[in-house]
Amino acid sequence: MTKQYFGFSVLEQRSVNLDSEMPAELESLYQKEPSLRACIACGNCAAVCSAGHFAEMQFYRLNVMARRGLLHEMVGKAAACMLCGRCQMSCPRGVNIRHAVLMMSQL
Amino acid sequence: MTKQKVAIIGAGPAGLQSAVSLAELGYEVDLYEKKSRPGGHLAEWHVLFPDMQPAGELLDSLMQKVLAHPQIRLETGVNISGLERAGNSWQLIQSDSVRGEADAVVLASGFKLFEASKKEEYGHGIYPAVISSAELEAIFNREKEWPFEKTNKSPKIGLVHCVGSRDAKCGNLYCSKACCITAVKQAIELKKTFPASEVYCFYMDMRMFGLGYEELYHKAQLDYKVHFIRGRLSEASPSGAGRIQVKAEDTLMGRPLKLTLDMLVLMVGMTASVSPEVKENTVELKEYANKGEFVKIPGAVIGAAQWLKPGLFVAGACKGPATLPEVLNDARATALDLRNYLSGVL
Repeated sequence: MTKQYFGFSVLEQRSVNLDSEMPAELESLYQKEPSLRACIACGNCAAVCSAGHFAEMQFYRLNVMARRGLLHEMVGKAAACMLCGRCQMSCPRGVNIRHAVLMMSQL
Repeated sequence: MTKQKVAIIGAGPAGLQSAVSLAELGYEVDLYEKKSRPGGHLAEWHVLFPDMQPAGELLDSLMQKVLAHPQIRLETGVNISGLERAGNSWQLIQSDSVRGEADAVVLASGFKLFEASKKEEYGHGIYPAVISSAELEAIFNREKEWPFEKTNKSPKIGLVHCVGSRDAKCGNLYCSKACCITAVKQAIELKKTFPASEVYCFYMDMRMFGLGYEELYHKAQLDYKVHFIRGRLSEASPSGAGRIQVKAEDTLMGRPLKLTLDMLVLMVGMTASVSPEVKENTVELKEYANKGEFVKIPGAVIGAAQWLKPGLFVAGACKGPATLPEVLNDARATALDLRNYLSGVL
């Protein structure tokens, strides 16, 4: 039997809880690619992304997910990347994006 | 011929630098300070962005020049409440009596820090773990204690940008412009003090406009591992054992975010301190508790003389939020305008 709600339905918990412990893999990801820390989420990577129009690929969002410890979500989305490297040529903060995505997808 | 005299109201960085520049140009300078000690907010700061120079060093070097100059007379504890035009000079009024007279006046009354307790949702003045950025400077200067246990070597600390700035709810639509870089500076100082701490900056935009600011922000991310979260805090509430739970929208994730902290620092902006009421021959220097306006100089953008009336010049952050280099340069520029006025060029 399905649950009955009164006029609205409730999603599963969607808030980011920074009190929960950060996954250990996060630190190893930063060690493999320290330039990840320099991202300012400007969105340039996504604007030039050759996959972005057809797949859910926004590098800066992967990075935000990583920073919030949501590695599971991040890994799934990183697989859409074709590693063409356009984003890296346009990143104003010099993030080594190709290597970073590769490391993300292999976590 | 006796030397021409200039009176300066306020002995913060703008007043001190104006005094030095004007004395070097040959004028007699009377420098009045309302408080019992000169230096303004600079006297309460720890180190300065972006080079981490001790604030005391800059103040000492300004004070040495002021005290060493025979033409500068510094008086503290004097509250000049108004000015009156008398022929070609200005009389300085202190509680209805004439305190002094000068050929020209520089108003350098500076700014007040926004009262953090007015943003009630952040609980400043209610929760001891919530402090203002100025109080954090006092802690760095060892004039105040950390609000968490001494044994806690890995505190979680949040810094909230734009407290009292860019906020119509507070009546302040402007950006105070020094707080973003102050937050970055303080975050780095915190990480230096507690290397095992986690420091989170909650920002709306990172306004890193000055020389070396963006570089310091980059360093804070890469070398000091400071976390930057885009989103304004909605509230802070007590979470037991003196800790604070904060809530915000993480606008990059598009999801709500919560976090428990050992200390929350509110980056308070700048507000007006003295709002002059200008009449034909008098100027009243009014202090407002809450809603003063910064001094407006007509035509300031096109480089018009920085004065309100002939012979009444205005220097520094009483015109609006400004950083120290801007204030010091403005004081020098004002001194030059003033010289042109007194020598009949302006």
